Amino acid sequence: MQRWASLPGDVKFLISVGVLFLALFVANCTLNRYVLHVITLIGIYSIATTSLNLTNGYTGLFSLGHAGFMAVGAYVTTLLTFPVRLRIAYNLPLLPPFLGGPNYHWPFLPALIAGGLVAAVAALLVGAPVLRLRGHYLSVASLGFMVIITTLAKGLKDLTRGAAGIQAIPRYTNIWWVYAWLVVTIYVIWRLLNSSYGRAMLAIRESEIAAQSQGIHPMRYKLLSFVIGAFFAGIAGGLYAHFARSIRPYEFSFSMTFLIVIMLIIGGAGTLLGPVVGTAIVVALKYVLKPVEEGLGVYGLVEIVYALMLIGVMLWRPEGIVGGVNPLRFLFPKKGGRRNAGVPHGEAHGP
Amino acid sequence: MLEVEHIHVYYGVIPALLDVSLSVDEGQIVALVGANGAGKSTTLKTIAGVIRPREGQIRFQDRDITRLGADRRVRLGIALVPEGRQIFSTLSVKENLVLGAYHRRDQEVKKDLEWIYNLFPILRERMHQVAGTMSGGEQQMLAFGRALMSRPKLLLLDEPSLGLAPLVVRDIYEVIQKIREAGITIFLVEQNVNMAMRVADYMYVMEAGQLKMEGVPQEVMRDEDIKRAYLGG
Amino acid sequence: MFTGTYIAQQLLNGLVLGSMYALLALGMTVVYGILRLINFAHGALVTAGAFTFFGIYMLLGWPFPLALAASLLVGGVLGYLLDLVGYRKLRGGPEVALLITSLGIYILLENLIKLLATPQPYAFRPPAFLGQLQNVGGVAFRTVDVFIVVVSVLIMIAFALFVKRTKLGIAMRATAESVEAAKLVGINVNQVVAVAFVLGSAVAAITGFMWGAKYGQISYDMGFMAGVKAFVAIVIGGIGSIPGAMIGGFVLGLVETLAVGFLPPGFAEYRDAIVFVLLILVLLLKPTGIMGRKEAV
Repeated sequence: MQRWASLPGDVKFLISVGVLFLALFVANCTLNRYVLHVITLIGIYSIATTSLNLTNGYTGLFSLGHAGFMAVGAYVTTLLTFPVRLRIAYNLPLLPPFLGGPNYHWPFLPALIAGGLVAAVAALLVGAPVLRLRGHYLSVASLGFMVIITTLAKGLKDLTRGAAGIQAIPRYTNIWWVYAWLVVTIYVIWRLLNSSYGRAMLAIRESEIAAQSQGIHPMRYKLLSFVIGAFFAGIAGGLYAHFARSIRPYEFSFSMTFLIVIMLIIGGAGTLLGPVVGTAIVVALKYVLKPVEEGLGVYGLVEIVYALMLIGVMLWRPEGIVGGVNPLRFLFPKKGGRRNAGVPHGEAHGP
Repeated sequence: MLEVEHIHVYYGVIPALLDVSLSVDEGQIVALVGANGAGKSTTLKTIAGVIRPREGQIRFQDRDITRLGADRRVRLGIALVPEGRQIFSTLSVKENLVLGAYHRRDQEVKKDLEWIYNLFPILRERMHQVAGTMSGGEQQMLAFGRALMSRPKLLLLDEPSLGLAPLVVRDIYEVIQKIREAGITIFLVEQNVNMAMRVADYMYVMEAGQLKMEGVPQEVMRDEDIKRAYLGG
Repeated sequence: MFTGTYIAQQLLNGLVLGSMYALLALGMTVVYGILRLINFAHGALVTAGAFTFFGIYMLLGWPFPLALAASLLVGGVLGYLLDLVGYRKLRGGPEVALLITSLGIYILLENLIKLLATPQPYAFRPPAFLGQLQNVGGVAFRTVDVFIVVVSVLIMIAFALFVKRTKLGIAMRATAESVEAAKLVGINVNQVVAVAFVLGSAVAAITGFMWGAKYGQISYDMGFMAGVKAFVAIVIGGIGSIPGAMIGGFVLGLVETLAVGFLPPGFAEYRDAIVFVLLILVLLLKPTGIMGRKEAV
């Protein structure tokens, strides 16, 4: 154990990745398709959750709009990779010349990255106004943007087929793509956190005012974290689209956002692996409970269990399953400074 | 009437009060003096119930109130006029005063309101004015009046002269005398040792969260160290 | 096309919608003012109120006033329980914890209703007298519209009186300003908060009935957008101000209706997006809202 701990971080990382892929290889050969399906889905959602963790858990910006960026990624990737002959059948636009022309469709990887980039640009545009807000203003404003994005997806029928959504998306996603991207996501975030950027983000999370007095410009770092989070959300969206093979605006609204938030909180915001653990639990639970729900006709059972778990975690273990220090304590210091801060109970918590 | 026994208060891990014991007898005016940051406000807040001590006990009229919340203590007869006044700035003067009597079930609230208006004529003038628009001195009087409206047996005053013009301070201390005559026990905390000395029957001196000295004001002031520290030699 | 009648029609619809938003905003701001909690679960209370009425009036066949009373009662009780079980423990903690919990509670309640009813929407048939068509100067409306506006205004007046004249009402305003100072005057904050929840929730429940009566249909998810829009209304009107919440509600209702009424037909689906665009504009340009009181945004 000690020898393990004394290895440099990069080496530990590489070894972990190696072990992971070995395990996946074994799983791929031995487990049945259904289980692999679930594992792949866990991977996709883990990317979404981990990217949300960067914004919510580590920088303390409680954004409720993450599903919107996933939608952007999903639609952009799909529109780029959709096979030409199907486009005509499905009334989808052909690619303009600067994107390859009417007889072209993009290969998977560039399309994914494009999806992520467009999501990142969207985040930049959304973030500039929204990130100036704090606390639940930020949450509701980001929720609002998600509504705006999904409404646009429904409204721009010529581009997106509106509420009907897009089906027959080629299935490019498989377990290797997903977990490779998950590794990339975690690596980028891990690197970011251990750099000066990361320290600035944590400082902002604890106290924006204090951070400012240290010469940190909050807006720059908030935007950075928001944009990177959105990029990977876009990737997750693109992967999702080419896994589920069909996307509709309806799927990317509140339910998806809540789902990701629940996964994050249950697993443990503000930790590297918490989101993955939370995602695994939540997804696995769904597959266990869905048959029960349908069998007994108790529709809504899965969500009730999720909600109870979330409430339970909030009341009794806010740091989540993996969590250490409760990051939520720092997410938003009590507004209005003195109002309740001076009411220490038991032992006075300092000002 | 009030016994504070060996209380220790911490802000997180930082000690604010260490083994503080004091007592106030009925009918007295007792003063706690000390420099800024000595822990005087913390002491008052602990007595009022805003802060809980980690160790120690507080007894009021032979009743252990250590675990009681601030609102319960008000109902028992302890009222705090806090540092920074903490009046309800969006409510009118009259509403603030009426709220002071919130927990009272008796019929004499109107009578007491009259008494407050007599003590502080300026409040009568500004009866319907929104409290947040008044000057600092007027707000102090409002906070005072509001605390009195609860018909306290023990009145806790946190730095009653802080930030006020000397004339206003004199008025406040005149009122303090009048209140004592009305039978209310007073425990006040002050940086302004001179004023405190003039009204107090008994004095405590606090430094860095601990009590350095206690006694009748004349005795306390005779001590050379005290004289140097607080009266400039 | 934009005749006087058309405009009047839109204004009336906006007024009716605005009344409901104003009620919802009122119910939400009462709690928000004290706890700084956006109670997402508020929306679920709307649904609960609607379904309770549905059950009592349509399924059990009890008389109309009784069904309304049952709605109010269920709303109030649920609100009380929410406070006691869900939020009390988290008071004094980080705001976002309350927000997350309220989201969880919303999902719980919404799905409980989905479970107890069915996922399908129900046709909502209020008493016949409410469905009567009226026509004044070419503007068509039903009795239910009048009912909604009148009852809303009555509730708002009653509330204003409560908050200005009664001891408990003044105590609520005081607690909303400073919990600590409220304790120092002997106000039992738990009691005040409980009252706020009960009142706000009862109002939400009755709004649920109104909503169902107006749109003729109720479903388990009808409450969510209502809850979020209530918050938008509060922001527009000015956080921390009770009259502001009501004004914000009316403004929101009018803007939403007029926007949908006057933009080209394809834009009708954008009504929710329009609401949020308005929110973001307000937050950026005048964060303190119409009746603005200072609060760090």
